[in-house]
Amino acid sequence: MEHIISPIALYLVCGIGAVGVALALPRRAQSKTIEYLGAIVLAAAFGLAALLLGLKATESGEPMPNFFFYPFAIIGIGASVRMITHKRPVYSALYFIMTIIASCGMYLLLSAEFMAFALIIIYAGAILITYLFVIMLATQAPSSDAEEKLDEVDAVAREPMLACGIGFVLVGLITTAMFRGIGDLPPVEMSQSQAANSVLAQLPKKVDKILEREGLLEEGWSVARDHETGLAKIDVDARTIEIVLLGQDSHGHDAVSSSRTITADEWPESLAANNLDRLGFNLLNDHPMMIEVAGIILLMAMLGATVLARKHIELEDDLKAAQARRLGTMFNDGNNGFDDGYDEPQATGGQA
Amino acid sequence: MMHAFESIQIAQSGLAQLAFPSEMSNSVLAPYLFVSAAMFAIGLVGFLTRKNMIIMFLCTELMFQAAGLALIAFGRQHLGSDGQTFVIFVLCVAAAEAAMALALVVLLFRHRESLSASAWKELNG
Repeated sequence: MEHIISPIALYLVCGIGAVGVALALPRRAQSKTIEYLGAIVLAAAFGLAALLLGLKATESGEPMPNFFFYPFAIIGIGASVRMITHKRPVYSALYFIMTIIASCGMYLLLSAEFMAFALIIIYAGAILITYLFVIMLATQAPSSDAEEKLDEVDAVAREPMLACGIGFVLVGLITTAMFRGIGDLPPVEMSQSQAANSVLAQLPKKVDKILEREGLLEEGWSVARDHETGLAKIDVDARTIEIVLLGQDSHGHDAVSSSRTITADEWPESLAANNLDRLGFNLLNDHPMMIEVAGIILLMAMLGATVLARKHIELEDDLKAAQARRLGTMFNDGNNGFDDGYDEPQATGGQA
Repeated sequence: MMHAFESIQIAQSGLAQLAFPSEMSNSVLAPYLFVSAAMFAIGLVGFLTRKNMIIMFLCTELMFQAAGLALIAFGRQHLGSDGQTFVIFVLCVAAAEAAMALALVVLLFRHRESLSASAWKELNG
């Protein structure tokens, strides 16, 4: 890990970060000054981390992350710290949405476009709205004179020093383990174009469409397909595509009347599988079991939440009896032979 | 500074350019992992220190988020889609957890009229 950041510097950064978060956490009789001090210490810690990582990278001539990584990281970490230090739950939830949007930015930089937008829709749009609903449901309405008074629950943190110590020892350990580990990662076996285009063979129609748009396919031509597997005959390594003109032989069967190979020089730049193609194939081809498991988890969660949160309505006994009597008379007056069993004894006796 | 300028140009040329992954060096991966670890620890600290049950569960969501970022970063490193697939699964677990946790919070709030986790001390052992 020496080539990424020196361990001593990493532990120093973690220590400063711990002090910053501990200062910023809510406490009794907290002054704004301490809070600002905490924020400044925290900013210093992460600034130091960014500086150290950047210096090491320039020293060894390695590339640095995209410029936009830095604002997203600052917003993400800043909003998550504000989330755990804010005294009002609604603001905490809103800061969490900000964290999510910042990490969506990082997903975009890591070329995971589909997940970035799915995250906004699912997290910010669905899960967080549920949280906001519950925050509003499960809070007492403030009485008019005590409007600005905070709940005792939200105003004081429990053991801030200890928790920050533990938390940032954990950052040190996780980052040490990961930075050591990424040196030993196996080399990526696929070439760049292979990784991007290995699913293209399974998408012959998409290839047809792109080639047509690029003017490489004339009328009646299409990409050659393997007879047994139905895969398109594309060589991703050599960047060649086999295309055929289908005609009919003397017996009226489909037959190849002419064929040609699109060479690497002609290979259009726009012919590449996008993130969604690759993700979809990965999900449905390689992890079909996971979809089933996810379905079961969601079903169980739905059942569990319904059972847990339902309200037991306790009716008074005489109210219950009155309801039953009303139902009973309603059916008996119509004289339709219904007996719901809730009726008074003499009424049921009469029926029998 | 040159680097920043190039990045802005890449961003301006649109997502189509970014969508085509090239190999990523460890020095690019490391900052993402650092952010992910820091977010995880902040979530943990929040879970340990705050007394409000809703915020405690919000902090577990933050930890899920940090795990997702690490998954995506490692998946990008390997030029594969497995990391993103696992994030879909993490999202699903997070949604299930949110539903259960919030149902529980509503249930507990009905009994004690308080969101404090310490209102349920006698559940210990």
